[in-house]
Amino acid sequence: MSAHGAPQLGLSEIAACFEGVIPAEIATASADGVPNVTHLSRVHMIDDERVALSNQFFSKTTRNLAENPHACVVVIDPTTYASYRMMLVYERTERRGPVFERLRRDIDAIAALTGMAGIFKLRSADIYRVLEIEPVPAAVDLADA
Amino acid sequence: MIGSELAAFLESPCSLIVGTVDADGLPDASRAWGVEVLDEHRLRVLLSIQAPVTRRNVEAGGAIALTATHFSTFESVQLKGRASQVEEATPADRIRFERYCAGATRAISESDGTPEELVQRFITADVYVCHMTVDSVYDQTPGRSAGTQLAPEPA
Repeated sequence: MSAHGAPQLGLSEIAACFEGVIPAEIATASADGVPNVTHLSRVHMIDDERVALSNQFFSKTTRNLAENPHACVVVIDPTTYASYRMMLVYERTERRGPVFERLRRDIDAIAALTGMAGIFKLRSADIYRVLEIEPVPAAVDLADA
Repeated sequence: MIGSELAAFLESPCSLIVGTVDADGLPDASRAWGVEVLDEHRLRVLLSIQAPVTRRNVEAGGAIALTATHFSTFESVQLKGRASQVEEATPADRIRFERYCAGATRAISESDGTPEELVQRFITADVYVCHMTVDSVYDQTPGRSAGTQLAPEPA
C-alpha cells in the first residue's frame, strides 16, 4: 500500500525489530525543510497501527515535530539484519501511564547494558501512527534474487 | 568548521546515518557508507544506490543532515548542510566503500558479539557520491550537551 492507506507490511511481521537490540534511526524535518537525523534507543509496538518512540534527548526532533508531524524511522531485525523503513506521523506524547512505564524500564535496561546509566533517561514516550513500512534492500537481496 | 580530529572521525568506520527531506516536507532516513573530507566545509558522502528516496532528495539539491556515531562509545556529531552535486562512484570511492564496510562490520561485531557474517547482510549493493557543503556542526553525544552547536560558534 501507499503512504495513504494501510501498511503493506504489518508491524507484527517485523516485531523482532522492536526488541531494542539494535538502535534505530529517526529523521524529522523543520517547517522550513531542514532535516534532523539521530539514533533512537527504543521503538515499541503498541498495536497494529502505532509505535511509541523513546524520547531521551530529542530537542531538535521535538521542535521539528511541533512544526511538521512526519517522521521516517529505520529499524533493523537483529536476527537477520534486514532493515525496514517506516513512515510515521506523530500523534501525541505521554509522560506517564503503561506505555511510558514500559519504555522507561526498557531504557533503564539498555542504559545498564551499555554503561549509560544516569545518561539514558526517558523524558517521554512519543506515540506515532504508522503510514507505511517497506523493506530496505541490501546487496544480499540481489545475490538471493 | 571540520578540523583534523573531526575529519578523522568522519572517515573512520563509525555509524553514518543521513536525513533528507523532499519538497513536501517528508523526511527520509538512510545510511551512508563512507565519507571523504575534502576541506573544512565540503564532504563527499557515499550513499546507497538502493535508497531511491534519498537519491531523489539529494539530486534536487536539498538540505541534508549527516550523523556520525562511534559504535562503542556513542560519541556522536551531526553535520547539516546542502547536497551540492551528485555523481557516480569512482574506483577509489569503491575502495573507500569496501574499507568502510569491512571496518564497520568488524566494529559492530566487536561491540556486541554479532557474527560478522550476519552484520554483512545489511550492507548495500553499491554506492554513488553526494557532495555535501556543511553549514553547521552539532554535538550529538548522549547527555546534557546533546544538540549543542559546535560550529560555527553561536553568537
